[in-house]
Amino acid sequence: MRGFKFLSVLLVLSMILAACGGGGAPAAAPAEQAAPAGEAAAEEAPEAEATAIPGGETYATVTEGSDILPPVLVEPCEPGSCPFEGQTVTVIVNTAGSKGPISGPFYEVREEFEAATGATLEIVEVPEAEHFPKLMTDVTTGTGQYDTSIAGAWWVGDLVEGDFIISYDDYFDDPRFPQWDYEDVQSGPRSLLEYGGKKYMVANDHDGQVMYYRRDLIEDPEHQAAFLEEYGYELGVPQTWDQFRDVAEYFDGKDLNGDGTPDDGLTLHLKVGGQGMFHFMSFSAPFVIGPDNPKLYWFDPETMDPLMASPGHLRAMETLVDLLQFGPEAMMAWSLGESWDHFLRGQAALTFTWGDLGSLAQEEGSQVRGKTGAALMPGTMEYFDAAAGEWKATETPNMVGNTTGGSWSGVISKFSDAPEATYYLLALMATKEKSLIYAQRGWDGVDPGRFSHYLPPEGTASLDGYVAAGWDGQDATDYTKAYHDNFGAELQFPYLRIPGAFEYWNSLDIHLSEAATGQKTPEEALQATADDFDAITDRLGRDLQQASYKASLGLE
Amino acid sequence: MAQEPVIPSGGVLNDVAQGGNVARRTKDPTGMFFLLPAAVWVLLFTIFPLLYALYTSFWSFRFGQRNQFVGLDNFVRLFTDANLHSALRVTLTFVIVTVVVEMLVGFGLALLLNQEIRGKSVLRAIMVLPLFATPVGMGFLGITLFYEINGPINVFLRTLGIEGIPWLSTPQWAPVAVMLIDIWQWTPFVFLVSLAALQGLPVDLYEAAEVDGASGWDSFRNITLPLMTPTLWLILLLRLVEAFKVFDIPASMTLGGPGRATEVYSLFTYRTALRFFDHGYAAAQGILLLFIVMLIVTLLFGRIRELYEVGG
Repeated sequence: MRGFKFLSVLLVLSMILAACGGGGAPAAAPAEQAAPAGEAAAEEAPEAEATAIPGGETYATVTEGSDILPPVLVEPCEPGSCPFEGQTVTVIVNTAGSKGPISGPFYEVREEFEAATGATLEIVEVPEAEHFPKLMTDVTTGTGQYDTSIAGAWWVGDLVEGDFIISYDDYFDDPRFPQWDYEDVQSGPRSLLEYGGKKYMVANDHDGQVMYYRRDLIEDPEHQAAFLEEYGYELGVPQTWDQFRDVAEYFDGKDLNGDGTPDDGLTLHLKVGGQGMFHFMSFSAPFVIGPDNPKLYWFDPETMDPLMASPGHLRAMETLVDLLQFGPEAMMAWSLGESWDHFLRGQAALTFTWGDLGSLAQEEGSQVRGKTGAALMPGTMEYFDAAAGEWKATETPNMVGNTTGGSWSGVISKFSDAPEATYYLLALMATKEKSLIYAQRGWDGVDPGRFSHYLPPEGTASLDGYVAAGWDGQDATDYTKAYHDNFGAELQFPYLRIPGAFEYWNSLDIHLSEAATGQKTPEEALQATADDFDAITDRLGRDLQQASYKASLGLE
Repeated sequence: MAQEPVIPSGGVLNDVAQGGNVARRTKDPTGMFFLLPAAVWVLLFTIFPLLYALYTSFWSFRFGQRNQFVGLDNFVRLFTDANLHSALRVTLTFVIVTVVVEMLVGFGLALLLNQEIRGKSVLRAIMVLPLFATPVGMGFLGITLFYEINGPINVFLRTLGIEGIPWLSTPQWAPVAVMLIDIWQWTPFVFLVSLAALQGLPVDLYEAAEVDGASGWDSFRNITLPLMTPTLWLILLLRLVEAFKVFDIPASMTLGGPGRATEVYSLFTYRTALRFFDHGYAAAQGILLLFIVMLIVTLLFGRIRELYEVGG
């Protein structure tokens, strides 16, 4: 009987534990990750915050160190004369909590918004994997449960072509709403705010990948001398992918953080569903895009035949697969959180990823604060012009900017019963004063992309502001310049914003993983990707897809 | 004096109680009234979704909305889609390996803990704990356990002088890691049900066998195994059906990767429906899975019925 009682107690306890432990992680949330055990950065941090972003993944890495607050900009309204009295604005956003990336600023602004408008703000957090399905279910059924979604930029093709969101063109200059400077957003990310010549996304986050390097290692005289002797040219910030390979090879296997164990030349994240395809996009851009071919990367706009198996894509894939030998094998199963963590521990010399890493490097627990340089992604000395069908050499490195990632920003549902109040909220958060603080802080996931975020001479922000937010001065200077150069580059990687964008990318993601893990050769992987692209295009309607593609490239 | 049981209404029950003809029906509507909730339940939550899925499978979708009637095209795709075939292959491997290991280990442990050993109750309680964890939680725990750089398993292996295993980053080992987590979670189920059945076996048979000089192996082969066979078939049936539907563990551990190495059928269907909004094709996939599972259930039920009939 005693045994039975003990068993009963254990069973009840285990059921409670199971309910507590598992309840918060719905089954259909495959993108949400738990931190691996023994991650020193997290252990050292007294209060680990959820961090991350581009694809919306949540990861515990470093702590919130910068606690600056954006200014209050709008006055409370008088009861009875509030512009949106009694209305409710419901925002759906990726799960990250009140101090988490992208969702955090909504909790922060709620009191100010409600006092100024008389409206109520409701925040619905869902795991990234469920966000788009929930939104699509809401709009395809015309329910209108959500007034705004803080959407990934690749959803816009589906949302606009499906007639599910409204343009805010009519609200933009209306003095009833907070005014924000559209031209302040740099041309790269600004192009994502529009579709077919109309404004749909209200600027918030600005995603793009840049190269991060260990400045302390690159500037070390001993390394410089050894590198010169080994490679025959001076060690510096890589300008081409060939140089990037040399630097990665040189540092691979050396102790980079003084812990007595060998570290890696680079780190990436290549887990299926871990946004590895964004790596390939940013990486491969200068192999395909060039002065004579500024736009053709995905499809031939005349036939919608995929270009993914072109010689340019193939060389990019072969080069990327070759580079992987200088990183840890485990990165084939890493999402961005693990890869960032590896760099933040000082265990890799190079990486290329989103703006979050630069600001996370400044946070408590990072081992690379004051050592993290950033620059525009390296280029190539020749690219394959798909239109001409030939390789073309360049005299200087062919470097291509990119806006790969989510650039999570608000769109207004066509079925919202409070579209004006919704725009008020989004416009308030898009104001220069608030956006600058968001960009300077690490924890809120809003990455820089406006002139007001950059330091002089590129922009108008002050270094003191970044230092007050916890930045090392040189890190901030490198970081903001890298983003300015990336988003302002003459050549930009063409972002795919047609219906089914995610399905196309999912195919690329899986086949990239197959090539990276030796299941397919780069050629087979790209051919399989092209075959999938064809099948998706046929299923969604070749003519309709072609029209969307042309519109997205401005070819109409 | 023995009295006939008094059953207020429900002619069928009366027939049974009196050993009468079950086929004879009553016209008393009260019985039908009590059946109504079950009938409504089945209609609403089984028949209607099934018919709706069938209807959906005849359509193509664009922007998550019905676009065009395509007849049997979605079913034809099932036969030509190499990615689906890959998912089926991965799922079949997963089902065969996990269910066989779970059955052997679970039944073996039940036999072991059916003995009189010290700490039996505690051991039994510990054994069943994984069963009560949510599968997605187990998956996330799996990421931690199998973390390649400094996860506990590889750290342990290195202390033994064994090179760490690339558990999640290679197509050879990732399926093994996923299957190990599933085995960890579901072996207790086999253990629990087997143990309950073992404890219900008649002790007098064993005593008689012992008197007749039977060894332990003889008793196991001639008493335990035959008497346990119907139960084991039932456990096998339940585990097979569940294993075919596995989703949470691979979804939380590997998202189907590397490549498609751990992309099981349900994960493939989830992506088709809720990531690509190709609901028609997803419905056809669901119907195919239903067909496969129904086939297994029918075959195994037939076998179980035979066993019960043979056993009287």
